[in-house]
Amino acid sequence: MLEKKDLSHVLEIALQRGGDFAEVYLEQKQTTGIACEADKIERVVSGSDVGAGIRVISGENTLYAFTNDISKEGLTKAADIVSRAVQGAQKDITLDLQIVKPELDFPVVKRPEAVHIDDKVAVVQKANKVARAVDDKIKQVTVSYGDVVQKVTIANSLGNFVEDERVRTRLVVNAVAAEGGVIQTGYEAIGGFAGFEYFEENTPEDLANQAAKRAVLMLQAKPAPAGKMPVVMAGEAGGTMVHEACGHGLEADLVQKKLSVYAGKKGKQVASELVTVVDDATIPGKYGSFRFDDEGNPGEKTVLIENGILKEYMYDYLTARKEGRKSTGNGRRESYQDRPIPRMTNTLIAPGKTDAEEIIRETQKGLFVKKMGGGQVNTTTGDFVFDVTEGYLIEDGKITVPVRGATLTGNGPAVLKIVDAVGRDLGFAIGTCGKDGQGVPVSDAQPTLRIPELIVGGILD
Amino acid sequence: MAREYEQKAQLAVEKAQQLGASMSEAYIATGKELSIEISNQQVEALKMADEHGLGMRVIVDGRMGFAYSSDLSDRAIEQTVRQALANAEKSHADEHNVLPKPSSQYPELKLLDEQIAKTAIEDKIALAKEIELQARSYDPRVKITESCTYQDAEYTVTLFNSYGITKTYQGAYCGAYAYVVAEENGDNQTGFGLTFSLRYKDLDPAKVGKEAAQKAVRMLGAKEIGTQKASVVLDPYVATNFLGVLAPALSAEAVQKGKSVFAGKIGEKVSSDVITIIDDGALEGAIMSSPFDGEGVATRQTTLIANGVLQGYLHNTYTARKEGVESTGNGIRGTFKSTPEVGTTNFYIKPGQVTQEQLLKDISKGLYVTEVMGMHTANPISGDFSVGAAGIWIENGELTTPVRGVAIAGNIIDFLEAIDLVANDLTFFVGRGAPTVRIARMTISGN
Repeated sequence: MLEKKDLSHVLEIALQRGGDFAEVYLEQKQTTGIACEADKIERVVSGSDVGAGIRVISGENTLYAFTNDISKEGLTKAADIVSRAVQGAQKDITLDLQIVKPELDFPVVKRPEAVHIDDKVAVVQKANKVARAVDDKIKQVTVSYGDVVQKVTIANSLGNFVEDERVRTRLVVNAVAAEGGVIQTGYEAIGGFAGFEYFEENTPEDLANQAAKRAVLMLQAKPAPAGKMPVVMAGEAGGTMVHEACGHGLEADLVQKKLSVYAGKKGKQVASELVTVVDDATIPGKYGSFRFDDEGNPGEKTVLIENGILKEYMYDYLTARKEGRKSTGNGRRESYQDRPIPRMTNTLIAPGKTDAEEIIRETQKGLFVKKMGGGQVNTTTGDFVFDVTEGYLIEDGKITVPVRGATLTGNGPAVLKIVDAVGRDLGFAIGTCGKDGQGVPVSDAQPTLRIPELIVGGILD
Repeated sequence: MAREYEQKAQLAVEKAQQLGASMSEAYIATGKELSIEISNQQVEALKMADEHGLGMRVIVDGRMGFAYSSDLSDRAIEQTVRQALANAEKSHADEHNVLPKPSSQYPELKLLDEQIAKTAIEDKIALAKEIELQARSYDPRVKITESCTYQDAEYTVTLFNSYGITKTYQGAYCGAYAYVVAEENGDNQTGFGLTFSLRYKDLDPAKVGKEAAQKAVRMLGAKEIGTQKASVVLDPYVATNFLGVLAPALSAEAVQKGKSVFAGKIGEKVSSDVITIIDDGALEGAIMSSPFDGEGVATRQTTLIANGVLQGYLHNTYTARKEGVESTGNGIRGTFKSTPEVGTTNFYIKPGQVTQEQLLKDISKGLYVTEVMGMHTANPISGDFSVGAAGIWIENGELTTPVRGVAIAGNIIDFLEAIDLVANDLTFFVGRGAPTVRIARMTISGN
């Protein structure tokens, strides 16, 4: 890796033709992936990716270049290219980079490179075996293991110099069940900012069981009902809804461009008093956690909505600068190939006071969502959708028959305002959040929630 | 430069064979990219990229190993080769793990318009600004630019394998797109326009800008509707989205692994007669065309569904060998970081005879869907989908008022059977294309 004085030089070149902020983001990433399907280890893949991104901000314009050539010459060349695109006054700068130390730490016990590949393969094989043993109707099982060690060096013209490392480990099981021409699937994913020790508490067996049982269960599921109805979402359902219904709309870039229904609503009531929403990069071990964001700002806990009142948006350096304030540590990027933008980390609706069972008992008729899948939002209108991967009907306060193929659709602020029950439980799920073509690891969570009416996309008999 | 990459690829393959590989393959991709984002007639972001990398695949006694690196120094290449060999040791032996021999003939395609690289960056900035100007001047209610973007890329792909495939091709493409917001009485609606082309002179910024503006404006004042059964018409963009759910099910890999609804149905009727689905990696002038696929097999046109009857599946070398057929040249790599999996190239629904107007004409009531949300949550294995939708209500053959906040759900197979008319307006969105399609009757979930 390059030394501090080389990076200072690169930053000086980047700013030589004007511009008022420059940054170098150097990344070295080692990945391992293992895929098992059709009862065999199909592929073991490893990769090494190195590169650097150089950013210059001039007023509100961002200029970005990236290269795989991370030699001093390579970076200097990239910095020169970026500087040529800047239209500002020429200036001479001298930088004295200061090391920024992390405020928090996430210990990694068993580093991926210190774990023998056979042990990683064994985790995959175990999950495969367990999933296949669940039922004769399981026809196919895919297990994927992945780990990544990402080393980053971030230096900027504010004089900050940050060196950080992120270690993430994950395991995914996808089971396919078939019976009489019907095919259904069950999907489960776990992962964290952690090494191989992650599997001590989060076992491949549990994961495999859950995925396979869901696939089998969905074979007997009826098509979901259609239309507006009460919906209870279980704590264990994951937090796709909060991620889509308000998370994206609270990202400062979208707010500043008025591409969010939450723009201009700070201090206003945007959700039921029962709803508090937090984005928190500091929770140890979670998939969306980090010590530093991808601009070298420390990870933070940010209360976004407190008892229904909009308190804060999520900022990166550029959006914070536009408002003359500090970043909330939400500047993230997929890799050195991308410029940072405001992104979520671990986003959750805080637990309430009601018993989860009581919420179900007091719902006469509706849909019970036991597991959410992916989702999407149009932040401009606030309209969102998310997929139900395990759902049931609620009849007379009881969970009854499983249903499949449901999507729930609603409008973020409208839906959060009518939440009328919040449980005291809390369940996390992991995912990869896509925005502007960049995927970043996130997690989201919520307690058991009731929404008195939500549109269920289903089929009329 | 190309010569240098060929030498590196050759070096990697020779090294792998020396170290004990039965077969080996080096895939080197290099590229330069430019994107320019405009907002309020200012360059909001300009991005330049310079990238290269090697994907190394080896087969040792039927075991496949893969490793990649973006460092192309001799030392890193050797390290990658050794890593790929080590990975092969841990994977399962499979007699169908083989690499292809050179194809007898490769299509000749014009993929490199030099105008793209020659055009000055200032002209490209002007093109992106023009998109925004056109969008704004289309209607005063178009008030916010999410982004107006010009983008291009130039790339070189080199493939070298131990059976003597030594192939390189160069290509370039360019594109422009716009996302804008129209505002009226506190109601904000988004619209987009998009075009990609192999030729710079084919980009039409006015068309992209106006299209985005028109789509945003026509959604102003959108209302919810009640749950009901009605006709549903998908505009080409939305139909293309549905095609994306279908693509995995037509891959031989999914079929062989029991994950496709089309398994065992060759020669059978799987959709209504009006549907013909084609994949064509050698389509002249198309974005995803290339002379050979990600493992060096010549690309070609493959008809998957002809007038509703399933003709076959897409194959890479592995799946073809397993089934005892020829690869269709569909071993696709997204980047040098991945192995060549079965995928689509230029994948489309063949257009019909009628105009979109004629297709709408005899609908008494229905929804013309212009936007779907959550398409990525559709399940390509079971075929179940349920998506959020927005569009324009159709009454007596005419588009009337905008509608939002509804959902449409079903199974892709029932859906294919229910399509009763296909228009003549085939439109490509990068690698996939579809004309307007009509479904006689389906559930629309609303208020």
